[in-house]
Amino acid sequence: MTTTENDRLLLNAYIDGELDPAHVLEFERRLAEDRALADERGRIEALRGAIQDRLPRATASPALRRRVAALAPPQPFAIKGFTGWASIAASAAIAFAAGSFATFVAIGPGGREPTPELLVASHVRALMASQPVDVASSDRHTVKPWFNGKLPQSPRVVDLAAQGFPLVGGRIDVIGLTPGPTLVYRARLHVISVTSLPKSRRAGAPTRPIDGYNMVEWTDGPLAYWAVSDLAAPELENFAKAFRAADPEP
Amino acid sequence: MDRGDSRTRFANVVIPHLDDAYSLARWVTGNRADAEDVVQEACLRALRGIGGFSGGNGRAWVLTIVRNAAYDWLRKNRSPAVVHMDDLEAVERMRIADDATSGPDNPEAALIARADEAKLDAAILSLPTVFRETLVLRDVQGLDYREIATITDVPIGTVMSRLARARRKVIEMLGVDK
Repeated sequence: MTTTENDRLLLNAYIDGELDPAHVLEFERRLAEDRALADERGRIEALRGAIQDRLPRATASPALRRRVAALAPPQPFAIKGFTGWASIAASAAIAFAAGSFATFVAIGPGGREPTPELLVASHVRALMASQPVDVASSDRHTVKPWFNGKLPQSPRVVDLAAQGFPLVGGRIDVIGLTPGPTLVYRARLHVISVTSLPKSRRAGAPTRPIDGYNMVEWTDGPLAYWAVSDLAAPELENFAKAFRAADPEP
Repeated sequence: MDRGDSRTRFANVVIPHLDDAYSLARWVTGNRADAEDVVQEACLRALRGIGGFSGGNGRAWVLTIVRNAAYDWLRKNRSPAVVHMDDLEAVERMRIADDATSGPDNPEAALIARADEAKLDAAILSLPTVFRETLVLRDVQGLDYREIATITDVPIGTVMSRLARARRKVIEMLGVDK
């Protein structure tokens, strides 16, 4: 059987998870019958694996980061004053970047209640840091105990690797003066932060993305949870569903 | 939007994607120093244009600006032949063997899986720009077809055919035992 141009397109889309379910079934039948096509699949997957494993991720140099940061220097807080939550959140992001979050907490007026903007600011801060986590582990039995002794309650940590969301680790975010455990998962190259706080601290989830970040909120027992990511909204919903459905026990 | 707002939005929307921006610029220009210039220029444009960002996919928005800045840079600094190669010509040059079949144990796949960084890098850099950027956006940066179509400003069908051809070409280069 010869492999046509169309077969190649379908094969690539199949490997990339871009075929709809009906076409997937049909294509898998073809793959089972067509040796040449199956061999090509092996080669493409080998290539993708080699690129992912062996090509180092390019990172912007510290010099470039400084040059870009200098394009938009943060405004001094004291002079400008606060005009709204968005500016507080963004100021927080910049304060974080400048490594002076403690100062912000100390002087930030009225920042006591969690808001979606503050949750996004924490997520952005984590993305800017060299590591989005303080404890890096894909093993929930390492991540969960790390929170013990640091916070009154340790969060529900679930394993979602099988659903395509491997655990990266955890950190503690301070959301409006309330410290809360944050779990970090990955979806392809997107980072997802899952923060939990006592339910009395509900922030409400925005219906529109904030600066390109989507958010899903839900509650479970005494806790409210927020997942924040630049992942597309339906995918983030899927993540939240998988998180809620997963069994937290071993 | 006042200047302070632009700055804070810039810090939220653009700076988190700086590594991705640099990576794309590096792959399109082919070297690090040029990539840094392209990223800086793109960030200037992003800062000026941040008021027009609707709050959708920040990463795709940033990468679109980086891509345009990189192409402008190429047009200014490279011979026109490198850049103004239209799709048809590129497709012609990307003509690939039709019967790329191999034995039942698929030794080519094993060879490709073992390719080292230098070989991979060289193979990808040798692709025509539009194919290279499509492959990089998908396999290095992990974007989906729709995002790639937005960034490169072509229909999804074109993304699919560029990606299929780019992969086939790299496989041909790596799958030959030298």
